Amino acid sequence: AAEPWPENAALYQQLKEEQILLSDNASSLAVQAFLQMCNLPVRVVCRANAEYMSPSGKVPFIHVGNQVVSELGPIVQFVKAKGHSLSDGLDEVQKAEMKAYMELVNNMLLTAELYLQWCDDVTVEEITHPRYGSPYPWPLNRILSYQKQWEVRRKMKAIGWAGKTLEQVLEDVDQCCNALSQRLGTQPYFFNKQPTELDALVFGHLFTILTTQLITDELSEKVKNYSNLTAFCRRIEQQYFEVHDKDSSTTVVGRSAKRSLLR
Amino acid sequence: MAAPMELSCWGGGWGLPSLHPESLIVMAYAKFSGAPLTVNTIGNSWRAPKGDVPVLISEDTVISQPAKILSFLRKQKYNADYELSAKQGADTLAYIALLEEKLCPALLHTFWVEAENYCSVTKPWFASRIAFPLRLYLPGKMSREALNRILLTKGGPPLYSLTEVEAQIYRDAKECLNLLSKRLGTSQFFFGDTPTTLDAFVFGFLAPIYKVCFPRVQLQEHLKQLPNLCRFCDDILICYFRLTVAGHSPAGQNTADANLQKLTQLVNKESNLIEKMDDNLRKSPQHPPRKLTTLKLAAGGEEISPLNRLSP
Repeated sequence: AAEPWPENAALYQQLKEEQILLSDNASSLAVQAFLQMCNLPVRVVCRANAEYMSPSGKVPFIHVGNQVVSELGPIVQFVKAKGHSLSDGLDEVQKAEMKAYMELVNNMLLTAELYLQWCDDVTVEEITHPRYGSPYPWPLNRILSYQKQWEVRRKMKAIGWAGKTLEQVLEDVDQCCNALSQRLGTQPYFFNKQPTELDALVFGHLFTILTTQLITDELSEKVKNYSNLTAFCRRIEQQYFEVHDKDSSTTVVGRSAKRSLLR
Repeated sequence: MAAPMELSCWGGGWGLPSLHPESLIVMAYAKFSGAPLTVNTIGNSWRAPKGDVPVLISEDTVISQPAKILSFLRKQKYNADYELSAKQGADTLAYIALLEEKLCPALLHTFWVEAENYCSVTKPWFASRIAFPLRLYLPGKMSREALNRILLTKGGPPLYSLTEVEAQIYRDAKECLNLLSKRLGTSQFFFGDTPTTLDAFVFGFLAPIYKVCFPRVQLQEHLKQLPNLCRFCDDILICYFRLTVAGHSPAGQNTADANLQKLTQLVNKESNLIEKMDDNLRKSPQHPPRKLTTLKLAAGGEEISPLNRLSP
């Protein structure tokens, strides 16, 4: 029904080892999982200036043929226009539910990740500032990092999260994970047999939270409380990502063996 | 059971108990869960609204955001979600997130950013309910905050101008309304026959769009094409707020009817009188006006009457 997917499709994100942050890694992993689920091969290219190359300023973005599309929402629509879709089998009410849950993840999990890495002073000093500006020389690294922090804090203030304490944010994360856990129940995927973009998005965020080392483990502890969510992440990792670990050196998931959930 | 609770919020108009979505959410939830709440609408007094509105005051605790107020009410055993399963509770959270992401920006835009709407409806309404001199400043501040929020959350690249952002947020809002309509289907409330938190949130966001008469109403027109959502709002207004669709309470409706009848009768009488006078004038054009006959009497003699006829 559509043009074939080119061989050299590339997904751009920031440098995996030194630069990428929690929220960006989660978004990138979500897109990678989605493309894997659609059986569309893509190679991951790491560039220090990925954020500036992206048409919307957000990572990840994919370069397919002569088009550049960024962020999961537009990528899903782009892939659908090419004739691949994971959510065609859902009826209208289920599609509404799927969109609602995706908004929940974006609204709560992503915002909580952004809060943690840009508004919590300890994390900002020790992890975010060093990582964000690492490819650049001083003083550019500090300037870029402060600029980004100012931007994120403005946004947090506008949506009312600036007044929240870390405990309240963690509680929101807990509520969100509870909702996701309840919705998933004992099914393999959110809409029973087939994975959809919601599964990709949830996997991206939860896996990153579970496998990224921060100052404290409180965030990952909140997710670990829900065994069906950790089992869900393990299942998707095994099904869609382990295949690559064996042959190619560009491991799609994580940086080294210790990142795997099968610890 | 509980200490008396007082809710301070913006008042209503156009048939709604309140124009402010967050205030409406709390009022609706209180009605659904049976919480005894005395509602104080912010009026033209010197007590400026402190912090975010709505504010719940119970004994010494002061709570301000709708989500926190609702969880406080739940802790006081006024729980509208008692019969929901855990999965339905999860759905509630998800749909509320959808409303806030997709519908709220367009709602804020319609009320506060769209120039015609703001100047002709929103600003006068809010200004009339705030004391002078705060009324010169507060509506402007709320408008700026709304614009800020829209631009910061939705206005990044590749949308570079406000018109593009507006187009995008209205598209999102219409899609959200369609999704809500599909989810509601033909049932009375979102989870069966009793209203829950989700119904309170949906009502709080939809009712202002549905009822308030703005000059620029693309969202309202779209909503009116979704009859199940309109019926949902009307049902809640009639059942829980005792307001008829026209916006008057039943007792008020009777007096309004009586007044209307009296007025119609008066108008009819007047129009009858005017008709009679017209007929008289047509039948006898030579008939002198009444005041000139008195002059005729005073002046005396018939020759004066032609002169009199010339006077206006």
